[in-house]
Amino acid sequence: MSARPELVIDGYPKRRPRWVELATSSDHKDLGRFLITAAFGFLFIALIELLLMRLQLLIPENTFLTPVVFNRMLSLYGATAIFFFALPLAIGLFYYVVPLQIGARGTALPRLGQVGTWLVIAGATVLYAGYLFTPTEAGVNPLPPLSELAFLANNGVDAWATATGLSILGLVLVAIDLTATLANLRAPGMAWRRLPIFAWAGAISSWLLLVIGPIMLAAITMLLIDRNFDGVFFADGSGGAPLLWQHLSWIFFTGTYMLVLIMALGAIAEIVAAFARKPIFNRGVVIGSLAAIAVLGTLAWMQNMMTAPIGIGWMYFAMLMSLALIVPFGLIFFNLIATLVGGAIRMRAPLLFAAGAIAMISIGLAAEISHSMIALSWKLKNTTDSTAATHFALVGGAVFGGFAALHHWFPKLTGRTMGESLARISFWTMIVGTLLAFIPLMLAGTEEGQVIDAYKYFDSTGVNAHNLIASIGTLVLVAGIVVTLVNAIVSRDGGTEAGHDPWGGDSLEWFTLSPPEPHNFDVLPDVRSARPMRDIREAISHRTAPAPEKPAPESQPVA
Amino acid sequence: MAPHSPGTDQIETLLWIGFVVGVIVFVAVTGGLLYALRRYRGERGDEPRQLSGGRGIQFRVGLLLTVFAAATFIAATVFTEKAREVPVTGPDGLEAAASTPLEIEATGQQWIWRYDYPNESFSYYKLVVPVDTTVSIDLASTDVVHTWDVPELAGKRDAVPGKHNRVVFRADEEGLYQGDSATLSGQAYGSMRTAVEVVSPEAYEEFVKSQREEIQAAQDRVVDLIGNGETP
Repeated sequence: MSARPELVIDGYPKRRPRWVELATSSDHKDLGRFLITAAFGFLFIALIELLLMRLQLLIPENTFLTPVVFNRMLSLYGATAIFFFALPLAIGLFYYVVPLQIGARGTALPRLGQVGTWLVIAGATVLYAGYLFTPTEAGVNPLPPLSELAFLANNGVDAWATATGLSILGLVLVAIDLTATLANLRAPGMAWRRLPIFAWAGAISSWLLLVIGPIMLAAITMLLIDRNFDGVFFADGSGGAPLLWQHLSWIFFTGTYMLVLIMALGAIAEIVAAFARKPIFNRGVVIGSLAAIAVLGTLAWMQNMMTAPIGIGWMYFAMLMSLALIVPFGLIFFNLIATLVGGAIRMRAPLLFAAGAIAMISIGLAAEISHSMIALSWKLKNTTDSTAATHFALVGGAVFGGFAALHHWFPKLTGRTMGESLARISFWTMIVGTLLAFIPLMLAGTEEGQVIDAYKYFDSTGVNAHNLIASIGTLVLVAGIVVTLVNAIVSRDGGTEAGHDPWGGDSLEWFTLSPPEPHNFDVLPDVRSARPMRDIREAISHRTAPAPEKPAPESQPVA
Repeated sequence: MAPHSPGTDQIETLLWIGFVVGVIVFVAVTGGLLYALRRYRGERGDEPRQLSGGRGIQFRVGLLLTVFAAATFIAATVFTEKAREVPVTGPDGLEAAASTPLEIEATGQQWIWRYDYPNESFSYYKLVVPVDTTVSIDLASTDVVHTWDVPELAGKRDAVPGKHNRVVFRADEEGLYQGDSATLSGQAYGSMRTAVEVVSPEAYEEFVKSQREEIQAAQDRVVDLIGNGETP
């Protein structure tokens, strides 16, 4: 029993070599897979930079790295981890999965997505071409006046600004394609209220990026004008304001933090439902909470500016927005756990990583509550406790959450499942590594006030043991992450064949082949509920009863 | 690090509140997660009841979370306001600062802190202040953003060029308190430390007087040298 395809384009031989096809493709699946692969590649590079920094901080007053090299590693690590790992991973996953989930045969503006993807790569090239002259030394968030020409006269900051600007521009273009696709190309019957949660997360993230992306692009443009065309946007004393950069950049960075968590929680929701074999406890509340996180979280940008010379009223505004986040985050965690309750849980790798992500994110957000309390943030801000809190939330979201999504959708991406035992080894190594790496930093920050971003610490300050353990923990964490990256590379060609629907998912990406044909679907099903794939399975079992269901690896099941 | 000023006392209390709130959040989320994961294992092919949650339970959980967030907000507000109160100079403090705080200017520059005292003397790296006296530090920067951070005495504050920021504290015990800069300010950022030496009011008076005399002597010598046509 096989379906008659409506479009027969796949049988024709390709006219050009495979790499030319890929490099010129505007198919969302090729581009999404490209973004995801590139993101994990940049994760590896970021980890090397992190390891070099932790090696410098292994012992007090170490001279392994000079201050200048340390600052370069710090700046490159931040830019790579945020602009070339976390954001491209989130957007890449959305770009691959969301059109499939909504039953679209492609995206609405494929050339825009193609340009966007390549702009991200161009950005990364600019950042690392900085090695040919001098990389930036201005830090993760290059605050003016330090990032102005007067204090860093080499072109490193220009390279940083161009690189991150290209990445943001590219991701904004992909987000435009995603929003247009979501608005116009949903399958018949796929009303907004029936959209899978991950597709909702993609919609919310895209809209969020359309707000915060241009703000950061404006700030970066102003910085470039300041540095290259005698501008005074952020220069003090000539009508400029260093604090303006802080406001604009923190709106972006805070929004990005939320975007990464929205992606992770969206993926986790899909995974939890699939592996508990239950619907999400309350879809509407989860979707509404994701939207609330995007709005409240971004409005809390001044939570990062509690020690800056701004009025106390603004600090209260930031605290109100930050603490208000307890409600939507709490509701999501409640609904995720309530989905598991009463389920028939199969503890496979995606769920394992999803659970790890929830645990790590909960530590990060719990610590972030303290950073939101005004007077307490005067103590904790810019200590290693803030490093640890941010890393718990973002390693939880982007690495654990990203790996959960990778294990979950790897069968769709490649047609094969990732190795389960390597996944378990990687997972437990990563859990141990994360705790060892960041709990000591929390203690060093809160008890001894060790400051952030510093290239050394002194023997007399009582943080030797903390930093030694943190460095070892980072090594363990990196080892754990590398195991999963290796697992992905090995499983790409060597994993067990997955079939079109290995997990029994509810959404439409499991309806098509793994990996899908260029046009995604031969036949579009008529969507009648929020769980179309479940409806299809039921229809098939009714039709074929009493004979047992047979897998159909070479063709798609028909509704 | 023990707090040594009324402001940091309040912050220390808030630290414990924040810790308790954080532990509650972590235990509730991770505990609930682990319980559900251990309790509800199933075999392949099991079909659990397709339960979903109605509005009632969502509303109750939302209300509980709102109350929790509001309580956290109120606690943070109370202790923030207490920490912001300007303390009054005590009986053991400097008499000249009995009614108005002792005003000191701190200027961050790459990569050292300069302190200007009311009698026009100044010092680099180390600030000397009298014990039990309300000290108000006016923070400024001549180049990039620096953060003044002496955790035992006060919360940290940024020194931003073109802006003024303020730190107020009252040290309750004589001694030497170490501090750092807490915003990346370039190459020597990690070495840009500072210290506050808290001494008796008499020792403070003596320090600023001798410091002023030494500065005056040095300046006179430079003027002399220039007058004699030599390079100082």
